[in-house]
Amino acid sequence: MLLQLKNIFKWVNSGGQRIFLLKDINLEVEEGEFISVMGPSGSGKSTLLNVIGMLDTFDEGEYNFLDESVHTLKEKHRSNLYKEYIGFVFQSYHLLDDLTVQENLEMPLLYKKFKGSERKAMVADMLDRFNIVGKKDLFPAQLSGGQQQLVGVARALIANPKLILADEPTGNLNSQQSEEIMQLFKKLNKEEGVTIIQVTHSEKNAAYGSRIINLLDGRKV
Amino acid sequence: MLKNHLKIAWRNIKKDKLFTIIKIGGFSIGIAACLLIALFINNELSYDDHYQKKDRIFRVVMQGTMDGEVLKSVHFQRLFAETLESNYPEIEKAGKINTSELFGAGKRALRIQGSSQNMLDDGFVFADQRAVEILELDFLEGNRDEVFKNPSSIILTEEKAQRYFPNGDALGKTLFLDDNTDKPYTITGIVKNNPAIKSHFDFDFLLVIEDKNTSWTTTNYFTYVLVDENTNIPALEEKMGAILEDYFIPAQMERGMGEDFMEVLKTLEYKLQPIGDIHLKSDIKMGDGLKHGDIRFVWLFAAIAGFVLLLAVINFINLSTAKSANRAKEVGLRKTVGAFKGNLISQFLTESIIYSFISFFIGVLLAWLLLPNFNSIADKSIVMPWASWWFLPIIVVSTLVIGLFAGLYPAFYLSAFKPVNVLKGNLSIGSKSGSLRSGLVVFQFTTSVVLIIGTLIIYKQMNFILDKKLGYDKEQVLVVQGANLLNNRAQAFKERLLGLSEVKEVSISDYLPVEGTKRNGNSFRKSASGTEERSVPAQIWRVDYDYINTLGLQMKSGRGFSKEFANDSSAIVINTSMAKKLGLDNPLGRQINNGQDWTIIGVLEDFHFKNLKEDIEPLTLVLGNAPSMVSVKLANGVSDGAIEKIKGIWNDFVPNQTFEFTFLDQEYAQMHDDVKRMGKIFNSFTMFAILVACLGLFALSAFLVEQRKKEISIRLVLGAPFKSIYQLLTLDFMKLILLSILIAVPVGWYMMNRWLEDFAYKINIGWDIFLMAGFIALLVALLTISYQSISAALLKPLKNLRAE
Ligand SMILES: Nc1ncnc2c1ncn2[C@@H]1O[C@H](COP(=O)(O)OP(=O)(O)OP(=O)(O)O)[C@@H](O)[C@H]1O
Ligand SMILES: [Mg+2]
Repeated sequence: MLLQLKNIFKWVNSGGQRIFLLKDINLEVEEGEFISVMGPSGSGKSTLLNVIGMLDTFDEGEYNFLDESVHTLKEKHRSNLYKEYIGFVFQSYHLLDDLTVQENLEMPLLYKKFKGSERKAMVADMLDRFNIVGKKDLFPAQLSGGQQQLVGVARALIANPKLILADEPTGNLNSQQSEEIMQLFKKLNKEEGVTIIQVTHSEKNAAYGSRIINLLDGRKV
Repeated sequence: MLKNHLKIAWRNIKKDKLFTIIKIGGFSIGIAACLLIALFINNELSYDDHYQKKDRIFRVVMQGTMDGEVLKSVHFQRLFAETLESNYPEIEKAGKINTSELFGAGKRALRIQGSSQNMLDDGFVFADQRAVEILELDFLEGNRDEVFKNPSSIILTEEKAQRYFPNGDALGKTLFLDDNTDKPYTITGIVKNNPAIKSHFDFDFLLVIEDKNTSWTTTNYFTYVLVDENTNIPALEEKMGAILEDYFIPAQMERGMGEDFMEVLKTLEYKLQPIGDIHLKSDIKMGDGLKHGDIRFVWLFAAIAGFVLLLAVINFINLSTAKSANRAKEVGLRKTVGAFKGNLISQFLTESIIYSFISFFIGVLLAWLLLPNFNSIADKSIVMPWASWWFLPIIVVSTLVIGLFAGLYPAFYLSAFKPVNVLKGNLSIGSKSGSLRSGLVVFQFTTSVVLIIGTLIIYKQMNFILDKKLGYDKEQVLVVQGANLLNNRAQAFKERLLGLSEVKEVSISDYLPVEGTKRNGNSFRKSASGTEERSVPAQIWRVDYDYINTLGLQMKSGRGFSKEFANDSSAIVINTSMAKKLGLDNPLGRQINNGQDWTIIGVLEDFHFKNLKEDIEPLTLVLGNAPSMVSVKLANGVSDGAIEKIKGIWNDFVPNQTFEFTFLDQEYAQMHDDVKRMGKIFNSFTMFAILVACLGLFALSAFLVEQRKKEISIRLVLGAPFKSIYQLLTLDFMKLILLSILIAVPVGWYMMNRWLEDFAYKINIGWDIFLMAGFIALLVALLTISYQSISAALLKPLKNLRAE
């Protein structure tokens, strides 16, 4: 089992009132799963994803990731954990505008113990796999949305994560571009066994996954 | 990793040109200002630093109290030095110098034997053989150990030797001073000019002391001692007190000093002032007449330098954190893909160090370009110490330290962003650090306003000095120099001048109410009342019949000198301070004595004959001959024609001596040059500070406008008028500036009050100055902000909203 959420609660206090963002979430994810999270706007999908990605904390419950109890870990350990095992893909791509495609891909490797030559090889490999060698010296602003997201996915994958978290990865893309990204996810999941959890509003995209989780007002339904 | 940091930093520097220019510009200006001041301070601190035996050389100071006031003097008897040397074994050598115009120091006319031309030159000082040794004069030619063994010896500096003897054959040549062929001087030594060496007293010509005065009551010599190693200085000072007991006090008693004076004598003691302290730590009360620095100004300037640099650093911090919203996304992202806080901190520090390096490069260049201007303002001849071994290391280390210092806060601040906040898009970051930024803006403007206040007050005091009613009329008085060459024809020269319609009055006297003219201190007693009476120290000036009219001195009572009274040769005119000190309500007709009896025939209104830093002291005038300066009061203003005519007459009388003259009002202004310089220096650094602060404010307002573009657009779409948008963007800043002014006023008031304490005659600090300073700051700030606010209020709203 890759990860397990047990009775997760998350809330914020506002004007003496406790507003629940997540309520009693239980979830088990096996390695190699492809899960789609759905629900109306404001239902807590992004919040859940951030908790799973350890970018955000929760107030109650247990979270185990690869036999580590995330809820007992110090902040520092927790960030080490996600830096090692999790890759993120964002709706608005979040590429660094000042870096070229190649440099954006290289960035995660800079913070790990890779030599310059290794980094080069890994980046070249990724560019190759995603068929964007010709774009390697372009800046994000010079790419289409679909191409940017392609780079976003490549960046999430480059350090070989076990889990990819994608928050509405196709939200800013037209249907053809969405289709391409979804195909890519499916391929990664099938052929390389990468576990994927994606948030989506589209039934069609959700269907690419092997399992769908529905949220409503912070609760799993 | 470093390569990567450098690459990113460089891209960021290139990206936002306005911010980069302002960050680097502000930084460079701060560094240039700081460097200039540091060089100035280094220069001031390096006086008298070159002696091999520096720690063992002292100047003797005598101090005591009189009526609760501290008296200090550095003038001693001729016998004092040799008595010290023979009576105290720990004093290895004692020597003396004399810089008094009364003895012929200062300006003299010199003529080379065999030439007919007299040339007026300055910088004559008297010294003895011991002084030459103690002060370690460095001889190019001549032997230090015996240059002054013989009378009529003269030493020239290398520069003067080259000027008067271009063939390099000065040594052994004969010179005449003031055309006196009865006393030829022989050049026995030539001293090296080393621009790196600075000494508390300057000379161009050293004359050997030939005074034979054995009196213990006349004091004319600065006395220097070289003590043995490991001498206990306080103990020696204590022991030196015996000289007072054995020589000075008995001599005073013999002159018939009263009980009162004995009280003063009892408080006297000798102190040894380390030679390194003379330039910066001398008291104006010592009255050595030398050009001094002031340790307090050194500190003040150091503080200003520190502040200007701090302003620049603050700008950097302010602008870096202001732009943080733009960097936040980057930080968040880098963290989600695996960056650690340390990675990011080192990235941001690398960036600030790069800024620092670029800024230092430009700043040092800027300082180098500004150095000539700075030198002329500060009256220095500082050179860039490119070649000094310490220069480059200091610059490099400062670059790193300041880069780190400026980058530290932004680095920690930026690297602390939580990725989740950034990714969620709630970037309230800009406003979160708003109060810190406001604080920094307040700090910058407070500093600027304090400096503006300082500048205004210095200028006001300067104007006060120049416009002050001095008690004499300094306008339109031309002073002919070197007139002693007229010899016994001075009177005839005077008559010829009086024949000119352009000339109103003429007076022959070397005693003028400006620095660099003769002074002669004596002590007087009321002669009738005998020996009980304490003596009053007072100047006694030798003047002619027309002196009082030429200078426009005002009589309070009695009369001036007149040829109609046959016995005016024993008449004396005193000033009001003298009358007060003597305790005479009706001084006219009374007699006073300074070893000779004088009858008071008139009392003058007090007039300023010293720097306005000092009180008006007792002064007396008697008839006498002091013929090297002739003061000419012009009738119809200063004109080239008048000067030409006077020159013509001079050439008739002394064809072999060039006509040299000065103007009394200019000499008076020169006497207060230090204040003027101070004003200029303050003014320059105020400009620097304001410039840096405004650059910061400009960038900050640009940033805030940028940040609120959407809000402004929406307001504009909803029909907000130009005025309301302008106010929205301007008001907050103006509040900060007002707060700065409020803080700056008491600080400036306190600081400048301290400065004014130096002056016996000074302005009152009024509200007008603070209002003016506040107004300047507000105006400058308003102009700075307005550029951004106005362009924001003129935005095309739709364009901005569509881009969202
Ligand atoms: N820090 C917070 N303080 C208060 N409320 C919050 C906070 N963070 C999130 N929320 C609220 O929690 C709820 C869930 O937010 P979340 O972003 O997870 O929704 P979502 O399902 O991703 O919606 P969408 O489909 O629009 O992206 C929302 O109502 C949001 O307003
Ligand atoms: Mg969401």
